[in-house]
Amino acid sequence: MGADPDEELVRRIGAGDPAAVQAMVARKLPRILALARRMLGDAAEAEDVAQETFVRIWRHASGWRQKGARFDTWVHRVALNLCYDRLRRRREWTTDELPEVADETPLPDALPGDEERRVGQALLRIAPRQREAIVLVYYQDLSNIEAASAMQVSVDALESLLARGRRALQAMLIGDDGDD
Amino acid sequence: MAEKTTQGPMDAGRFAALADGYGSALHRWPQAEQAAAVRFAETEEGRAILRRAGKLDALLDRHRVEQPSPALHGMIVAKAATEVRQVRRRRFWWLGFGLAGVGLAGAVAGLALVTVVNPDIPSNHYVMDANATSFGDAGPDADQIEEDL
Repeated sequence: MGADPDEELVRRIGAGDPAAVQAMVARKLPRILALARRMLGDAAEAEDVAQETFVRIWRHASGWRQKGARFDTWVHRVALNLCYDRLRRRREWTTDELPEVADETPLPDALPGDEERRVGQALLRIAPRQREAIVLVYYQDLSNIEAASAMQVSVDALESLLARGRRALQAMLIGDDGDD
Repeated sequence: MAEKTTQGPMDAGRFAALADGYGSALHRWPQAEQAAAVRFAETEEGRAILRRAGKLDALLDRHRVEQPSPALHGMIVAKAATEVRQVRRRRFWWLGFGLAGVGLAGAVAGLALVTVVNPDIPSNHYVMDANATSFGDAGPDADQIEEDL
């Protein structure tokens, strides 16, 4: 793992540099918001998660030291924990546990221009850990090692979650096993 | 987090497993296996596997999320000033407490050292009053007493 590209910016934030704060928000906010939006499927909740994630960034900036994981990986972990808090709150009335099994019932065919909403619905129907793996690797472009670190699982476990998640999405969106 | 490495040629099974997990874009695949994957991707079998994975990728790519609003950006930046200032102030206070603690520890250690090096002399050997010095009694009548002796 090479030098952390965010390290200098984090140090400047800890020293109270307003320009570094602006730069950090410009660099990370779109990524954090996209992550929360795809994990939660709700724009307002995603904005709340983004704000809470940044509060934690400001609080920890002056004491941040790279211990294995990169700053970006740590930020993803923080944002994901906040997303899971909200997912658990949604399900509190039934169970504390988040489902491990996806609802793979095929979604209805989309009208033209409706594909985006259909994909969003499908993402919300797969198991949260599978969704997390796909969001981190596919949409956030984290490497397999960074994603596994953010999820606190092995690379093999990450690959298994990715494959199961994609198979579930394929069943819902394409309705077959993807063969030609 | 250990990563598998593929030194030699990649087999179809592993290639298909990677496509199942990471999709059709090889830049998302594990770095240690990319070179072997690129070679296998040029085969007929490799192309067919990537084509299948690409169907789902094309759908996933349609899911876009809105960019953050300037209002959200502004709120987060405004909060930063307060939070960073509070953390710095807290650190300053902790530093103050730390220094005070070190000073107190020094005083206690000094007192302990004085107690060990210069213990109290039992009262039946020597009684020191307010006028006594190392050279004897420095009170107003000291000279007179010495003369009387």
